[in-house]
Amino acid sequence: MTGPASQIPVFDPDDIARIAEMLATAGLETFELSGPDGERLFIKISQPRSLTEEQNAGPPRSQEALADTCVAVRTPYFGILSYTHPLRDAPFAPVGSRVRSGDVVALLTLETLQIPVPSPADGEVIGITAQEGELTGFGTEIMKIRPASPA
Amino acid sequence: MSDNPRFDRVLIANRGEIALRIQRACRQLGLETVAIYSDADADSRHVREADIALCIGPAAASRSYLDPDGLLLAARATGATAIHPGYGFLSENAAFADAVEAAGLTFIGPTGASIRMMGDKITAKRTMLAAGVPCVPGSDGPLPESPDDVIALAEKIGFPVIVKASGGGGGRGMRVVHLAEDLIDAVGLTSREAQQAFGNPTLYLERFMQKPRHIEIQVLCDTHGTALWLGARDCSLQRRHQKVLEEAPAPGIDPAVIAEIGERCARACRQIGYRGAGTFEFLYEDGVFAFIEMNTRVQVEHPVTEQITDIDIVAEQLRIAQGEKLAIRQEDIVFRGHAIECRLNAEDALTFLPSPGTVTRWDLPGGPGIRIDSHVVSGYTIPPYYDSLIGKIIGYGATREEAIARLRVALAEMKVEGISTNIGLHQDLLANPDVRKGGMDIHFLEKWLEERATP
Repeated sequence: MTGPASQIPVFDPDDIARIAEMLATAGLETFELSGPDGERLFIKISQPRSLTEEQNAGPPRSQEALADTCVAVRTPYFGILSYTHPLRDAPFAPVGSRVRSGDVVALLTLETLQIPVPSPADGEVIGITAQEGELTGFGTEIMKIRPASPA
Repeated sequence: MSDNPRFDRVLIANRGEIALRIQRACRQLGLETVAIYSDADADSRHVREADIALCIGPAAASRSYLDPDGLLLAARATGATAIHPGYGFLSENAAFADAVEAAGLTFIGPTGASIRMMGDKITAKRTMLAAGVPCVPGSDGPLPESPDDVIALAEKIGFPVIVKASGGGGGRGMRVVHLAEDLIDAVGLTSREAQQAFGNPTLYLERFMQKPRHIEIQVLCDTHGTALWLGARDCSLQRRHQKVLEEAPAPGIDPAVIAEIGERCARACRQIGYRGAGTFEFLYEDGVFAFIEMNTRVQVEHPVTEQITDIDIVAEQLRIAQGEKLAIRQEDIVFRGHAIECRLNAEDALTFLPSPGTVTRWDLPGGPGIRIDSHVVSGYTIPPYYDSLIGKIIGYGATREEAIARLRVALAEMKVEGISTNIGLHQDLLANPDVRKGGMDIHFLEKWLEERATP
């Protein structure tokens, strides 16, 4: 974002459409904007899931093998790690919660830049493996997920 | 260090042996180090020993060591207020140097303006001519439009000529022409290649020296108007424009001649307000020096100069960046003895193809006059993504003969297993009578390799 949120008094539908288009062009899936009075704009658009699906599309595995396999959530960049959105109290994905592939499970913050850490798989969070608030490097395992069994 | 240092934590924007070299210099000056690294370098020695280590991206250099935004974000996230670029990667990227300073950080190197000036070979040559640094006879500017004018110019310079791209360097974007009738085709081809490779089709022309030596002058300049020259290096032993073995001083060249050219280089630095370490590269033939380019960074071969001058060039880079005055005066610099550096590459002895892999044995030589700059340890895995330099053995002696004798013992003592290296090549070179005599030209090594390959 280039300007403070207060410069956008209302969320004009045309603006929303334009932002959605920009997200699609930039290959981004979600956009969140919060104003000083608590107003909040959240846009989620569907993108071709090339990266995350490629990572998951390994060789076919048996159901037993899948149940034993944990998937590591790794950071796509570096930054200060937080498991909770700065404007909310509850963590994105606490241990025991269910996540879907692509869900934001943590954030990396660098100055004004916030980089979402997406879950690489559908499943249940079974462990938090990095330290909240620490400067965390690229590719660090921050969470373990037990993938959901295929239906 | 001064009482009010500009920085006390340095981000090392590089990898391998030079990252370790910079880290050592920082430590000696009481500076903290931040090692940024790619996924492929997590086990690197300087990463493990850094005060702060941060993985900033995947193995691909474009997303790690060559990512200016990532490096700046990493500097601010780790509290580093200075960046040392080493050599290669972003070390001669003017936009990066400018961005570092614009972010309020210190770039340990020259200004972006100096890098830009020397990066454009035509501007560099004009600047050097104006400063009294001798250059190869040539077009002294971009080629004229008309083919007839180009041919007339080449005839005035004298064939053979070499067509060079203004944006090129390091042996890329150039073509030798022996006959006038081949010139226009060569110009067209080189121009198209230059446009593709450097985004700049501008060409210039120079006389092609037939059997030159590569002689270079090391300079060191502070921000208070002092510019020093630290003698000459002979880096004539090259393969495909990559230096293999370097030495200082340059054998058989009168020190008074070196002193004169050194003075001219220092004067040029004062004129352009150059800052930090730099190297003026020359071709040298029949007593004539011809400027080819200036490298605006520390070079791989800087240790041979350090050995004969007892000046720590990397530490001086850091002091200069702190804003300190050089404590050395030109008249204090004494050249003592002789030093030779063998670049150790992980490469196949015959094909020269890179030989990445895990080093299972790494027995290092030692003894008087032997210096080793390397990031490799036993068990280290050389990643396949970067250049194949795994270290440097520098032999020093009172005389060239003594330096060679010490190096030969050291190379024989060195035991490396798990990967292939060019240690054997260095042993053969140092046993060669021509090399032992010194003063080889820049084509010597390739010719010798060709002859060696033919049974």
